[in-house]
Amino acid sequence: MKKVFSYLVMIALALFLMAPFVWMVLVSLQKSKAPIPTLDHLVPPHPAWSNYGLVLFGQPNLPVLRFFFNSVIVTFSVVLGQLFVSSLAAYGFARMRFAGRDLIFYVFLGSLMFAGPVTQLPVYLLVRSLGWLDTYAALIVPGVSSAFSVFLLRQSFMAVPAELDEAARIDGAGDFRIYGRIVMPLSGAALATCAAFNFFAVWTDFFWPLLSTNSSNMRTLEVGLSVFKTSYGSTNWPLEMTATVVVMAPLLIAFLFSQRYFTKGIMLGSIK
Amino acid sequence: MRAVALMAICILPALFGCSGASRSREVVLHLSNWGGASDDPAFSRNIDRLYREFERENPNIKLEIESVPDEYVQKMVLSFVADSAPDVLSLDASSAAVFINNGVLKDLSPMAAADPRFRQSDFWPNVFGIDKRGKSLYAVPGDFSPIVVYYNKKLFDAAHVPYPHGRWSFKQFLKTAQRLTLRDVRGNVTQYGFNFANWMPGWIVWLWNAGGDVLSADGSMAHGTLDSDQNVETVSFLRDLVTRFKVSPNISQTEATGVDPFGNGTTAMEISGHWELPGFKTAPRLRLSDVGVTELPTQLPSMKTVMYEVGFAMPQKAKHPKESWSLIKYLSSHLYQQAYQQTGIAICARQDVATERAADPRERSFLSIVPSARGPWGAKVVGYEFVEQEGKKMMERVLSGVDPRQALRQMADRIDSYFKVR
Amino acid sequence: MKKSRLGYVFIAPATFHLLVFAIFPMVFSIFLSFFKWNLLTSDRRYIGLANYAYAFRDPLFWNALWNSTKYAVLSVPLGMAAGLAVALLVNQKLRGVTIFRTLYYIPAISSGVAISILWIYIYMPETGLINTILGILHINNKTDFLKNESLAMYALVFMSIWVGLGPRMVLFLSGLIGIPPSLYEAAELDGASKFRSFWNVTLPMLVPTTFFVMITSTIGALQVFTPVYIMTQGGPNETTDMVGYHIYVEAWSKFLIGIASAKSFVLLAVIILVSIIQFRVLKNQLGGYSST
Repeated sequence: MKKVFSYLVMIALALFLMAPFVWMVLVSLQKSKAPIPTLDHLVPPHPAWSNYGLVLFGQPNLPVLRFFFNSVIVTFSVVLGQLFVSSLAAYGFARMRFAGRDLIFYVFLGSLMFAGPVTQLPVYLLVRSLGWLDTYAALIVPGVSSAFSVFLLRQSFMAVPAELDEAARIDGAGDFRIYGRIVMPLSGAALATCAAFNFFAVWTDFFWPLLSTNSSNMRTLEVGLSVFKTSYGSTNWPLEMTATVVVMAPLLIAFLFSQRYFTKGIMLGSIK
Repeated sequence: MRAVALMAICILPALFGCSGASRSREVVLHLSNWGGASDDPAFSRNIDRLYREFERENPNIKLEIESVPDEYVQKMVLSFVADSAPDVLSLDASSAAVFINNGVLKDLSPMAAADPRFRQSDFWPNVFGIDKRGKSLYAVPGDFSPIVVYYNKKLFDAAHVPYPHGRWSFKQFLKTAQRLTLRDVRGNVTQYGFNFANWMPGWIVWLWNAGGDVLSADGSMAHGTLDSDQNVETVSFLRDLVTRFKVSPNISQTEATGVDPFGNGTTAMEISGHWELPGFKTAPRLRLSDVGVTELPTQLPSMKTVMYEVGFAMPQKAKHPKESWSLIKYLSSHLYQQAYQQTGIAICARQDVATERAADPRERSFLSIVPSARGPWGAKVVGYEFVEQEGKKMMERVLSGVDPRQALRQMADRIDSYFKVR
Repeated sequence: MKKSRLGYVFIAPATFHLLVFAIFPMVFSIFLSFFKWNLLTSDRRYIGLANYAYAFRDPLFWNALWNSTKYAVLSVPLGMAAGLAVALLVNQKLRGVTIFRTLYYIPAISSGVAISILWIYIYMPETGLINTILGILHINNKTDFLKNESLAMYALVFMSIWVGLGPRMVLFLSGLIGIPPSLYEAAELDGASKFRSFWNVTLPMLVPTTFFVMITSTIGALQVFTPVYIMTQGGPNETTDMVGYHIYVEAWSKFLIGIASAKSFVLLAVIILVSIIQFRVLKNQLGGYSST
């Protein structure tokens, strides 16, 4: 009985969370400039696949494939870089003692709390003076570490039992080994979570890629296709939705493939 | 783990090497614009062809287009701060003051005067004046559009209403709109006479045509001008169009359909600029031939309107001023403008090119309106975008029942306290 | 743990990066808050605390702070409760539960802009999703939620719960999984009911996760920007004007960089204060649970 109830709730919740996306896809297949369809006209009798043709190939100055490629390079680099850099720092904060440790950690926390409108200006100036404008470096390096990841991973590393460390140390392992062989593998869930959060944050980032790139062949997908959103405003929902689906689809596919690692990671974490 | 680290190390050098810029001895000119897609790919192809033509004529110059689809002003401002501004930038009159008043653009008048092939008289005088400050010229206009009334001839025919022509008063406008607002047997509106859009760059013309304005003549203050009796009357009139006479749909309703009511054939008139025309070509229930253009209703002896313009400017610290100037000249040359005008998005700033289209009656209507057009406040006053945002809020309040005088006064307060700190 | 200089090596890359890309911009911004500058002129005038005085006298800034507080107070506890509830729901060993977990995460993988645009549709009068459903149920379907002064804020809160559900679920899940089953067994042996064991075992063991979720959710809520920018622009009548958006307008519409920076610093102070309070409260709840 409880099972049935649980399934009912889960299905209802799934509908609640997925409905807007289903709508989005259905509207993207309506004729360009068509009005927002009422529910009974939601499923288009003649899906306008040409909308996708127009968005993907129909604009001579929008090389969508290149945008996609850029997004992939940038996002993967940032996420991998982050996992590496942030996990090292998290290990240091969680497992090691040194002067000023807690203070420095609070500074990390504090950086999460500041979001000024001009924070991107000094970074932009720096990137400019390094000659990195319009390069992958400008898109990747500023994002490579994340205080959020450090915070999350430290939390997770602290939950790994210290006895395992001690056992390893008795065997002669140094900190790097403990980090690489013990703590990291046991934090699969947290690492996966970090990767997920950051992957999607970087993929959908708009303002920084807009600022730091000028040429169309360095643009990321989110920036490249925003051209559709601003051009159409609120009077061409079908095409706007088409552009949104195009940006989201790779994410969705990547997510569906990687979610296996989430569950795997979670299982690893529970082996005690 | 190790494999990942190795992979990362291998990618690193590529990251710093890869870039979008070219490296050769030629001069690379960066031209910025606000990108824009269209549902008309021919438009983009045309523009592209024009750029390649420039490169062919100037073999030592390579053109890089920086399209900024959103946050254009912000990005341009930051690029000026970082000294990475493009060589030529498209300048929208509505935000030109930010750049002109702060002295970051180069005064083009010396180059213009010294260049025998550049003639100021080629351009519409009032358009040319938008980017001038006294004798200094900060941008050469490319294209522009006055705000006009569009009407749907088919709907007028069906209602047996004569097309509007020449000067008409607010009252005459209202009467026309009422005759074009049709209801079914149950009293529901099936067709509206007019679509009032809460977009201050569009509805400011009503204020002007009743003799009012937004800011004092020198653009320094709102009090005394914005909250004038005339404006109170005008704003009340606009509100009445929606709430009392119901000749215009209310804004929530319009947004809920997700379409432009005029383009969808359910509204007989709207007020907008030339830029709508390419969109009308692909509008589902509107034929371009059904679209008529006429001047705005006015309470004054002759109509006034606003025009929005795009010009081309170069930074004060331009790295290749000669080449930038040649690009600016190209973009305002007969050849380029003639080809650009084919796209139909705006009127070219060059009189000779614009009048070439006078054969088309619709274009003729536009051209006859041009002399009564004035540039927007945004070309002269920094921070005017804030005024327009407050305008939208003010109109929303009025439409939801707030007394117009109170709303205008509050708007004037906010504007003036902003101007004080600016 | 012995004291070791090696710790510095571990935190070096991240700390260096933080200094350059986070601390330096923050300091720069705070520095600017003492000046009057509009970015484009070389005229940068030092005016001391005048920007702060302006900020404290500005009724719209207080309005924004109040709105942000309201938003955070509503969306964080509700969002966390929802996230925890869903985590508990999907933590069961049911067939296909991973499919559901995946589906619930999908809202979080879209850009804030796309989500905001979708929700503009959802909240529309008559044709929007909510009003369509209300219409089917013969209830008034003409409410324009985002243009309604009393409802707009709640509309944004509800949307934030929807968006945050997946990530919070995932975080609570990893917390739940870390709870040793032996604790539940012990509780059962003591005769505790399901509710009791939830209250006395699950919740306390989740404190570190709860702590993390609460702090990050609060910080996010107090800085929220995109939904306001896309959906309401602070309206109707400034009822959804929140600090993040308010500061953006000061900086990028009005070019009042000094004032915007000063307000950002005030916001920072508020967030730090709130975080400290939350930390203290949670520390009391920690009780016997110790972290290394």
